[in-house]
Amino acid sequence: MAEIQISVGSTIALPKKGLEKLHANLLKMGYRVLGPQIQDGAIMYKPLNSIADLPRGYVSVQDAASYRLVYSGHRHYFDVTPGAQSWKQFFFPAFSDLTNFTRNEHGQWQIEESETDLTPLALFGVFPCDLAAIQVQDRIFLREEWKDPIYWSRRQSAFILAVDCLHPCGTGFCASMGTGPKANPGFDLRLTELEEVFLVEIGSEAGHLVMEGVPILPTSAFWLQSAQKGLEDALTKMGRTLPDQQELPTLLLNHLDAQQWDDVARRCMSCASCTLVCPTCFCWDARDSVHLNGLTARRERVWDSCFNPDYSYIVGGNSRPNTRSRYRQWLTHKFGSWYAQFGISGCVGCGRCITWCPAKIDVTAELRAIREEVQS
Amino acid sequence: MIQTLGKPHAFSPSEPMQPYWAKIVEIVHEAPSVSTFWLEFLDTHLREGFHFKAGQFNMLLVPGLGEAAISISSDIEDEHRIGHTIRSIGNVTSTINRMNVGDILGVRGPFGSWWPLDDFVGRDIVIAAGGIGLPPIRPVIYYVMHHRHDFGKVTVLYGARTQNDLQFTSEYKTWQDAGIELQVTVDRGDDTWDGRVGVVPILFYNTRLDPRNTVILTCGPEIMIRFVIFEALARRVPPERILVSLERNMKCGLGSCGHCQIGPYFVCKDGPIFSFDKLQPFVNVEEF
Amino acid sequence: MTSEQELVKALQAIPWFQVMTAEHFRKIVNIAKIFKFEPGQVIFHEGDKEDYLYVVLEGRVAIEITVPGRGRMRILTADAMDEVGWSSVTPVVRQRTAGARAVLPSRLVAFDADELRKLCDEDHDFGYFVMRRLANVVAGRLMTTRLQLLDMFANPADYKEE
Repeated sequence: MAEIQISVGSTIALPKKGLEKLHANLLKMGYRVLGPQIQDGAIMYKPLNSIADLPRGYVSVQDAASYRLVYSGHRHYFDVTPGAQSWKQFFFPAFSDLTNFTRNEHGQWQIEESETDLTPLALFGVFPCDLAAIQVQDRIFLREEWKDPIYWSRRQSAFILAVDCLHPCGTGFCASMGTGPKANPGFDLRLTELEEVFLVEIGSEAGHLVMEGVPILPTSAFWLQSAQKGLEDALTKMGRTLPDQQELPTLLLNHLDAQQWDDVARRCMSCASCTLVCPTCFCWDARDSVHLNGLTARRERVWDSCFNPDYSYIVGGNSRPNTRSRYRQWLTHKFGSWYAQFGISGCVGCGRCITWCPAKIDVTAELRAIREEVQS
Repeated sequence: MIQTLGKPHAFSPSEPMQPYWAKIVEIVHEAPSVSTFWLEFLDTHLREGFHFKAGQFNMLLVPGLGEAAISISSDIEDEHRIGHTIRSIGNVTSTINRMNVGDILGVRGPFGSWWPLDDFVGRDIVIAAGGIGLPPIRPVIYYVMHHRHDFGKVTVLYGARTQNDLQFTSEYKTWQDAGIELQVTVDRGDDTWDGRVGVVPILFYNTRLDPRNTVILTCGPEIMIRFVIFEALARRVPPERILVSLERNMKCGLGSCGHCQIGPYFVCKDGPIFSFDKLQPFVNVEEF
Repeated sequence: MTSEQELVKALQAIPWFQVMTAEHFRKIVNIAKIFKFEPGQVIFHEGDKEDYLYVVLEGRVAIEITVPGRGRMRILTADAMDEVGWSSVTPVVRQRTAGARAVLPSRLVAFDADELRKLCDEDHDFGYFVMRRLANVVAGRLMTTRLQLLDMFANPADYKEE
C-alpha cells in the first residue's frame, strides 16, 4: 500500500478489516476501550475487548415506549442506534465519591485522599447526538470558576471515536437540533460506515496518532459520494422533527400556565426514566453516611432527578408538589432555561426519552401541542 | 460568581466540594431553636484572610450527616471569625444546634450573590425582614453603622412570630444609637408585650419613603416577602430597587446539582439575592 | 388651649382630615372628643355598646380577645394615626367583638358613632369620603389578619400532615 499522507483534517478510507488494528492501537496506547455491546437484549456501553463484540448485524427498532433489537444480518458494525445508556455514565458516574472522612487519633474528622483511576477512556462508537451531549455536559461540569474533578480527570484524557448515523433511530430528531446525523467537530476520529470501507476523518492529533500502522486507502469520489448520499438520505428518514427549536425558550417561559401541562400531567407517572436515559441531564444529590463503627464517614454523589418528590423540598414543604409542576420544570429547563444557563439547548435530539418513557410521552408532540395551544 | 479579590476563601476550584475545617469558638443563643455559631478556621491563612460579602452563605458540614446552607450573619469587616445564625429545621441544623464550643464543622464558601452595598451609597435604605430573615441582612446593618454618612435614611422593619422569636434584641439599642430607625412587630403578643402586634408589611404604613431614592432589602418567609413587595410597588419603588434574598434547597452552592433552580436561575449562584425585576416573570406562577 | 382648639389641632394632624372640605371638617369636629388613657387602662370591653370610632393620636392601643383557657390574646396594636373600632360605623353586631386597652400612655380622638352614621346618611358626599377611608382600613386589617392566619413564621413541622 502506498504511503498516504494524513494529518488533522484529512479524510481517508479504512477497509473494514482495518478496524481491528485501530482497536488494538487504542489498547496498546493504554486506553480502556468502551463500546456498544448487546446484553440482556439491549445495547450497553461496556469494555470492548474485541471488535467482534460489536453488535454487527443488528438494528434497533424504536418508537414511543418501544425498543427491540432485531438481527437483520447486515454486515455493519455500528448500525444499532443507542439504547437506554449514554456515555454520561463514564464522565459523570451515577455513583461517585465526593469526600471520604476518617477519624484521627484525636477523634477529629480528617479528609482521606481518594484513589482515582486515571486510565484514559476511549469511547468507541459515539453517535453524533451523543457527541453533542458530551459537549453540552462539558459546559455544565467544566466552568471558569471550577471544574468537577471526576468529570475533568476522565474527560480530558478521553478519546472519542464518533460514528455518523446513516440509519436514524426512529425516535430521534437530531437533524432538528443541529446535532446529527453527521457528527459535529469535537471528535478525535469520525467514521462513516459504507459497505466496504469506513471513511475516517481525523479530528485531532490523538486521532492522527491512533491511525499509525492502520491499513488505509485514499478516498475515492465514489465513496465520498456514497457517504454524502447516505447522510442526505438519513436526513429524510428522521422519525421525529422539532421545528424552530431556538424559539422554544420564549414560547415555554411565557406560557407556564398552558393547559397542555395539565394534559401531560395526567399521563406522566413521574418515574424519572426520561432523566435517567437523557445524556445531558446533570442533577445530582449528595448522600452522607457514617459507618456503624463511627470511625469513617462518606459523602457520595448520586444521580438525582427533578421528578423525584424530595427534589424541590424547601423549608415549609415542597415547591413542586405534583407531577404537573415537575414535568413542566423538566421540559422548560431542557428546552428553555438551559439556553440562558449554558448558551445552548439542553436537548440533542437523541430520542431516548421518547423510546424509554413507559407512558409514551413524546417531547416533540408535547412541544407541538403547546405551540398549537398558544397560537390558537 | 465566585470572586476571589486575591483573598483566600474556603473553596477550591479544582475540588469545589471539599470542605475546610473550622472550630466553634462561641455560641450565642438568640431565640428558641436559634443560635449564632461563631467559627474560626483551623488553617491560619484562611482564618486571617477569609473574605465574604454581605448576604453570602457558607455550606456547613457535619461529616456523616450532611451540609446546610447558612447565611453569614456577622460583620464583613471582622474577618477573624465568622458568625452563622442557625435555626433548627432539619437533621443537620438540629445537630449543629446541639454542638458545643470546641467542636469542628466543615465549611465551604462563600457562595452566592450579595447585597450591592456600593449601589446604596447616597440612598435611603428600608430593610424589611421577618424571623430568621434578619441574620442575612445583619452584615448590611453593621456596614451601615461603620459608614453611616455614606447612606441616607436607614430604616429596619422587623417582625417575628412572638416576642421570644425576635433576633438580636440585645443589639437594637446600638443600631438605634447609630441613627438607624427601627420598628418591630410580632404576629401574636400577650399582655407582657407592649410593642406592636401585627405583621411586617403593615409597618410600611408608618414609614415615609421617597420612591425615587429608596432601596428595599427584604428577607424572610416567602409570603411575607410577597406582601412586602406589594407594599413597595404600591409606593412606586421600582422593581430594580427591591432586593430579595430567596431560599431554595441548596446542596452544592455551585450551580451544579440543579436543586435550587427557579427558571433559569440557580439560587445558590445567581442568587440568593435578586433584584425583583429578575423574578417578576416567575413570581406569580404557582409551583414553578 | 381650649378643648375646641386642642380638638381642631389634633384632627388637622391626621392625614385624611387634611383633605376634607372645610364644611365636612366642621361637621366632624362637632361630634369629636379627645380622651386620654394610662397604660393598662381599658378603652372598651368585648360586649360593650359600639359608641365611638377612635383614631389614635399618640401612644399605642392593643386590640384584645379573651379566649377561655388561653386568657387575653393581643390580636393587633394600633399606633398613631391608626383607627380603632371601625366596625362601629357599619355595625353588624351592635356590640364590640373585641376589647381595646392602652399599652402606652395614649391620646385618642373619639367620634360619636350614631352621629357619624347620621351625618353619612344625610350627606352622601361626606358618607362616601368616610366609607372609602374605612374601606382602606378594613383592607389593611384583612391583609394583616390573613398573614397572621397563615402563621408564616411557623416551624413547618407543626403543619406536616401525619
